[in-house]
Amino acid sequence: MTDTIRFRLNGEETESHSDPSARLLDVLREEFLLTGVKCGCKEGECGACSVIIDGQLANSCMVALGSVSGSDVMTIEGYSKTKRYQKLSEAYAEFSAVQCGFCIPGMVMASEALLSHNPHPTEEEIREGISGNLCRCTGYSAIVSAIKKASENGEGLW
Amino acid sequence: MVTLRNGYIPETLAEALKIRSENQVVPYAGGTDLMIKAQPSSYLFLNKLSALQKVEQDGDMLHIGPGCNYTMLLNHPAVPKVLKEAMIRIASPATRNRGTIGGNICNASPKADSVLILYASDAELKLSSIAGERIVPIEEFFTGRGKTILREDELLTDIRLPLKGLDDYYYYKVGARRAMAISRVAFVGLLNTENGKISRVAAAFGAISDTVLRFREFEAMLLGKTLAEATALKPAFLAKYQEAIVPIRGRVSAEYRKQVCMNLLADFLNSNGI
Ligand SMILES: Cc1cc2nc3c(=O)[nH]c(=O)nc-3n(C[C@H](O)[C@H](O)[C@H](O)COP(=O)(O)OP(=O)(O)OC[C@H]3O[C@@H](n4cnc5c(N)ncnc54)[C@H](O)[C@@H]3O)c2cc1C
Ligand code: FES
Ligand code: FES
Repeated sequence: MTDTIRFRLNGEETESHSDPSARLLDVLREEFLLTGVKCGCKEGECGACSVIIDGQLANSCMVALGSVSGSDVMTIEGYSKTKRYQKLSEAYAEFSAVQCGFCIPGMVMASEALLSHNPHPTEEEIREGISGNLCRCTGYSAIVSAIKKASENGEGLW
Repeated sequence: MVTLRNGYIPETLAEALKIRSENQVVPYAGGTDLMIKAQPSSYLFLNKLSALQKVEQDGDMLHIGPGCNYTMLLNHPAVPKVLKEAMIRIASPATRNRGTIGGNICNASPKADSVLILYASDAELKLSSIAGERIVPIEEFFTGRGKTILREDELLTDIRLPLKGLDDYYYYKVGARRAMAISRVAFVGLLNTENGKISRVAAAFGAISDTVLRFREFEAMLLGKTLAEATALKPAFLAKYQEAIVPIRGRVSAEYRKQVCMNLLADFLNSNGI
């Protein structure tokens, strides 16, 4: 019997001693202090808590800690150290795609998940890719343009 | 296997079934239904069991592992289009990456979009325990909203989907908006003909009652008939459904949802020349 769950977090082997049925969102924020992972609903509706698990976008509020045992979890904190992030960040800035910023960490993770599976998305594919991420400020168009631009400027990165 | 202070992470299906038989556990697949409540629970984590994530075709029968998430199934060439059409409308990419077809079934919501398709296509479920296994038609699995015949020692281990005749389908999901919409009414119809006679009719309605609704006795009225004969029977056929469908109250009025059901049923017949 063990109270340890092992997984990779932002590239480093790590372990958690929280309850395996706890929300990954709460564990990331409270045990690992990764507060770039936002909480907007705890119902899988808003995407503010988006992380990438084994290469796939996930809402960390809808994931129990025990289910990521042995997995690779990436949050905005880890992702922001990559070149791909730089391209997205520049493009988001260029289009003023950030207003209050609350949705942005999740939006960026959704952008990465989209581009990593589809480096040259159409506008419709971009809208589908971020369809689980709510933004109450921007009206989405600037975000869509930013993702398109990042995919062009980041040619070869994804 | 990893035994946690609170929960289990089995490495094989055999281990999972053994744990299931010896302990009070809640099977956990993708968590997208369970985590809405997120009560502290002793979970049996099934999400890493490759035995539950296979899709295998055996002649006209497709075996779908209940642990397959929607993204896997949407990318799989053997999964029929009608099922894909229902799955692509479920939630958002993040939820489709984790939510599984087995979770959709076992959660036993009448709004479950994949279940609707499985009803119309006469799918069967394999339920396994360390004592053995049984195969049941999907209609017999559900006994009410959130209620199934699954025993405390059993897991859903296979979904058996007969592939024949699924190409000609009529599917419609009515939700409040395009993305992330839960079904207010969902309908699927299948109609096959052989030598000019109707050889199969299936009409299933989701999100209007405690379980998906399908009326085999009404469908039988059209079996063996030509399209012209079926057209003559159409008013009587529709009248049966008009009488039988009693939507329970929801966020949207029962009258509205009933009207939508009848319109979809009529349009389904229409689209088949009836
Ligand atoms: C934002 C959001 C939107 C959604 N939109 C839709 C939608 O449009 N349409 C729709 O149909 N659903 C929708 N859902 C519901 C949910 O995503 C689906 O029902 C999903 O398929 C559940 O699968 P899961 O693997 O996540 O289930 P889990 O939450 O892991 O489990 C659900 C239930 O099934 C049981 N279970 C799972 N696997 C097994 C097994 N092998 N044997 C026995 N018991 C098992 C669990 O114990 C639990 O009771 C939505 C959910 C969210 C959060
Ligand atoms: S907090 Fe997870 S989707 Fe909203
Ligand atoms: S920038 Fe404010 S919610 Fe998106």
